[in-house]
Amino acid sequence: MVLVLEKLYSGKAKDVITLDDEKVKIVFRNSISAFDGVKVDELKGKGEANCKISKLLFEILNHYGIETHYLKQESKNELICKKVEIIPVESVCRNITAGSFCRRYGVEKGVPFKKPIVELFYKNDELHDPLVTEEVAIRLGWINEKENIIIKAVTLAVNYILVEVFKKIGLILVDFKLEFGRTTDGKLILADEISADTMRLWEENSGEIKDKDRYRKDLGSVVDHYNDIAFRLEQIKELPKIELKTKVRVTIDLKSSVLDPAGDITFRSLLRLGYKQVSKVNIGKSIVISFTSVPGSKLWDVTETISNEILANPLIETYSIDFSFE
Amino acid sequence: MKIGVTKFPGTNNEQDVLRTLSSFGVEGVLICEKDTDKLKDLNALIIAGGFSFGDYLRPGIIAAKTAIMQELPKFVEQGNFVIGICNGFQILCETRILPGVLTTNRSTKFVSRWVYVKINKSNSVLLRNSANKIWRIPIAHFDGNYYATNEQIAELKKKNQIALQYSDEGGVISENSNPNGSMDNIAGITNKEGNVLGLMPHPERASFNYLGSEDGRTIFQNLIEELK
Repeated sequence: MVLVLEKLYSGKAKDVITLDDEKVKIVFRNSISAFDGVKVDELKGKGEANCKISKLLFEILNHYGIETHYLKQESKNELICKKVEIIPVESVCRNITAGSFCRRYGVEKGVPFKKPIVELFYKNDELHDPLVTEEVAIRLGWINEKENIIIKAVTLAVNYILVEVFKKIGLILVDFKLEFGRTTDGKLILADEISADTMRLWEENSGEIKDKDRYRKDLGSVVDHYNDIAFRLEQIKELPKIELKTKVRVTIDLKSSVLDPAGDITFRSLLRLGYKQVSKVNIGKSIVISFTSVPGSKLWDVTETISNEILANPLIETYSIDFSFE
Repeated sequence: MKIGVTKFPGTNNEQDVLRTLSSFGVEGVLICEKDTDKLKDLNALIIAGGFSFGDYLRPGIIAAKTAIMQELPKFVEQGNFVIGICNGFQILCETRILPGVLTTNRSTKFVSRWVYVKINKSNSVLLRNSANKIWRIPIAHFDGNYYATNEQIAELKKKNQIALQYSDEGGVISENSNPNGSMDNIAGITNKEGNVLGLMPHPERASFNYLGSEDGRTIFQNLIEELK
């Protein structure tokens, strides 16, 4: 019997091959391109370097509880991962101004933000991966409300972890891109690659560029620097102790069919105080639960169980969930 | 005959229930949240009123999740009697053993006073020979406003499960005699089989003449006779 392997996807730098219903093989190629394919090259050893960086970073993220598609390394340039349906929206997290952000808003490069910024982009080569607002991504059906909340919180959590990890090896994480995919049972997890092609890393001491900007700016020795990142990541003996805290807010509202005495009395008080434009007041509950774990699909399920079983009585109440990771 | 009386942190009525039981010569057994092994020796469990676990989130919900209450469906299924008084009624609703839920009083005030309830034709032996009687009995609660879906209310009516309704002294059931906004003036209901009774009024506080009424004794008396 000949096993026919299906090539699921062939990208600019990677091929994805379906192994079975559950697993895929991701092959990191040596091709590199920039400026929407205007500049294209083959760099020997680049595939292996990015494969190694991805493997190491996925393992680190898994260690901290982030749900990723990574299963194991198959060969020097191949990873075995869970099969997911990649969503057409990618997230970018920025700690310091650089790249398209500077061009888009006309700001100076290298200015740190007080708090990291998360942006969403629509993955579409023809349209040059445009920036999208959450509202557009949801309304156009690319992601749902829940996925939007998970993407933002997971991106911030990944940033929080990777900033600390890179700090340990003398590198500054400027920004990075993440892709997410839906597993066969509909859970959103981190997918694709996290490599020197998908992030900006600067030397803490000299500011020297270590990432794909070396290629974009023709700085040379791209693969050497990629290999150096992988080497330094491999040298980490003990991962930093990071206190992870996800705040989950469950907002509970009374169904409209249920009497809301407190809301009614408040409504009448507002009218009495002269706020004639008020037409109704509903008083619900807001419960904030802090978890010592990272946000993600698993935490969402836990929160739903807690909400269904304890926090809300489905007979009279509805609830909504929000994550924040700061 | 062994009758258990629950005591959760915040329960404050268990002594009144025990005192009433002992007036019939029955010594009740205090049952705490982890006493699941004691259930098998009991013939009945009375869930006493109070404010279990502070009732901060929703009345009765935390108690409903305790080990003892998780065992309760099995206990009920075996045909044993369960009476939930006030907070006990709220707990029974939160465990879904009884339908519906008790929400905040329409007045948004804690109501503590004597009321009249009309006893309906019931599917439960706990209210044997009491149909159409009017009882004088005290209530003391912040969340006694019974709510259920229209389908659930219809089902309760069909099976004679609406055991007690707030009324006036003459048995007239109206908005005027509704102390908390309960749908259909519901003060207490039973399960389909009739071995579970949940009620907001306190029969144990209306079990001695010196308290002002002994109308509530009927429930305890019926229970004890049934277990003899």
